[in-house]
Amino acid sequence: MTPPPIAVLAAGVATPIGLDLDSYWTALVTGVDGISGIERFPVADLRVGRGGEIKKLARLGQGGKPRCRASALLLAAADDLLSRAALGAPPARIAVVVGTALGGVDELERALGEAAGPRAAAAGLYDSPAHALAHRVGAHGPVLTVSTACASGATALGVGADLLHADAADLVVAGGYDVLCRFVLRGFDVLRSLTRERVRPFDRRRTGLLLGEGAGLLLLARERDARGGLGRLLGHGSSSDGSHIAAPDPDGRGLEHALRSAMAAAGVGPADVDFVSAHGTGTPLNDQIETAVLKRVLGARAYAIPVNSIKAALGHTMGAAATLEAIMCLLAARDGVVPCTLGYEEPDPACDLDYVPRAARHARSRVSVSTSLGFGGCNAALVLEGAS
Amino acid sequence: MTEVLGLGVLTGWGAGIAALPADARAAAGGRRVVEVARPALDGQRFRRATRECLLGVAAVDAMLSDAGLGREVLRGDRTALVYVTAAAYGASNRVFIDADPARRGGPAAAEASSGAPGALHFPYTAPSAVPAEVAIEYSLKGGYVILVGGAAAAVDALWQASVLLAAGRCERALVVAVETFAECETLWARGRWVARGPLVEAATCALLAGGGGDVRYAAASAPSPLEALTARRAGETLACGPLIGLALAREAGERHARLSGQWRGRRMTVTLGLSPAREPAHI
Repeated sequence: MTPPPIAVLAAGVATPIGLDLDSYWTALVTGVDGISGIERFPVADLRVGRGGEIKKLARLGQGGKPRCRASALLLAAADDLLSRAALGAPPARIAVVVGTALGGVDELERALGEAAGPRAAAAGLYDSPAHALAHRVGAHGPVLTVSTACASGATALGVGADLLHADAADLVVAGGYDVLCRFVLRGFDVLRSLTRERVRPFDRRRTGLLLGEGAGLLLLARERDARGGLGRLLGHGSSSDGSHIAAPDPDGRGLEHALRSAMAAAGVGPADVDFVSAHGTGTPLNDQIETAVLKRVLGARAYAIPVNSIKAALGHTMGAAATLEAIMCLLAARDGVVPCTLGYEEPDPACDLDYVPRAARHARSRVSVSTSLGFGGCNAALVLEGAS
Repeated sequence: MTEVLGLGVLTGWGAGIAALPADARAAAGGRRVVEVARPALDGQRFRRATRECLLGVAAVDAMLSDAGLGREVLRGDRTALVYVTAAAYGASNRVFIDADPARRGGPAAAEASSGAPGALHFPYTAPSAVPAEVAIEYSLKGGYVILVGGAAAAVDALWQASVLLAAGRCERALVVAVETFAECETLWARGRWVARGPLVEAATCALLAGGGGDVRYAAASAPSPLEALTARRAGETLACGPLIGLALAREAGERHARLSGQWRGRRMTVTLGLSPAREPAHI
């Protein structure tokens, strides 16, 4: 059974390469590199102290801004979205679904300090930023926090679509966010997942990822209730690997199941797909697995269409990543331009697809698929259609 | 109709709802947290697993025993997993934060404490660690959703499971909830307006099957009788509450359960069908 598509009415972002949708898209198309030395917290004792840090976020805790950086990021994306679309539904019929890998862990670190007050203790809960977002957009309907690790931003869009299909809301503000903080940088540092070099998704010389921070939100509605907008969410799928606590299934069977489920829900076959936005972290294993899965699912079509990763530009923004990539897919379709895979220069025999090297490319990309993986064997996939 | 085929309930009071006191507040005797013991699960694979991970696995074991099913019915990509918690990442997060050399006097302090949590512990700080261990243990490969929040999020999780069933995205759906508080008791005391005590640790699991239709999911302004009964009998179990409510409804011989759950000012409700206790599961 193919559920009716969900309309994407508007989007808003806060990223290291742009604090609104237009600057984000311009930076992606022109190949801006958002990686820099981290300034907000101590990194001198870590192997890697670089990432996609947002330098100019409004000062926290002043002028009505939340003290919690995660909430501030989310609200910055919400303000961008609200500047582009009005939420024309009763508050009780507006829902919020946001994905995050880390929630308010930055606040939990603060809360564990001796001087922190009771507010910090509550803010340390992973779902606190979602409630701040609901307050900002005036949503009195369901407020859900999804935490499928680095697939959260995709899972959240899927749950948002489910809420609309079930008539549990008329509008859903859905997306993902995460902040760069010492907790997560230290975690990936000890895992040796971070590269000391440039992030090079799918490149023969790739040695790992760098983290980033950001937020991305979409305004979703049932298509029959909506007009205009950026495009449509045609289908979504998810799966668990059930194989390892931290590493992806080396055969990619879970990702394959999620992708096939999303395409079946969307009612599209390989020939319909114009573009793939890959998870593309730049780790040796991830990129190889993804390439193999794309070839199994799309067959010969995998070689004929562009596949990109924008994680070298932003860093891996964790809970925000899949939403920011979905937004990129919709803008690519709108403008007929696919951003390049920054850092990709030397082909790897194990990664032999068209990864859009060097520069953005004019290409028809009406229907796209976006893939995501996360700790705990979380997989998610989206099928999107641009409004072109 | 979505039906509940099996239920597993472990709480700080013991295994099953038979262990629940008549009045949790009185039974707590002034304790702010009623702790549940670390399950003793066999296997080298669990040597690094956190207490909350083991509780998740133990809750599924309890559900299978309740339903009279073997674990093989769960295996594969036709079983979805929906996990929910408000708090069961706090302990692992705290361990990782407390071990940070920057908080403990610099790199020298870290060096002095070899064996402090590091690479092997970090993946367990994610809320996805508990369902990951469940998925690994039972070879679950199907749809996967993880929600964070209290009892309202557990209602959301039951609704999400019914959506997966109704859409044919799975044949069975496991809903698992775990809550632990002991390691962060002082934080919960400081943020006590979020959840009033006694905080009772718990791990719960429900196996859902059926067509998924006729599940009524909506906002609610007042607690259902089951929500009130669960709070009185079990105490504050956050995301585990609605699943304990399911077990209480089944014990009372109900064929339908109207569940509700509240968290941070939001209350949701869902109605599910119930299979009679220990009736052979038809899946």
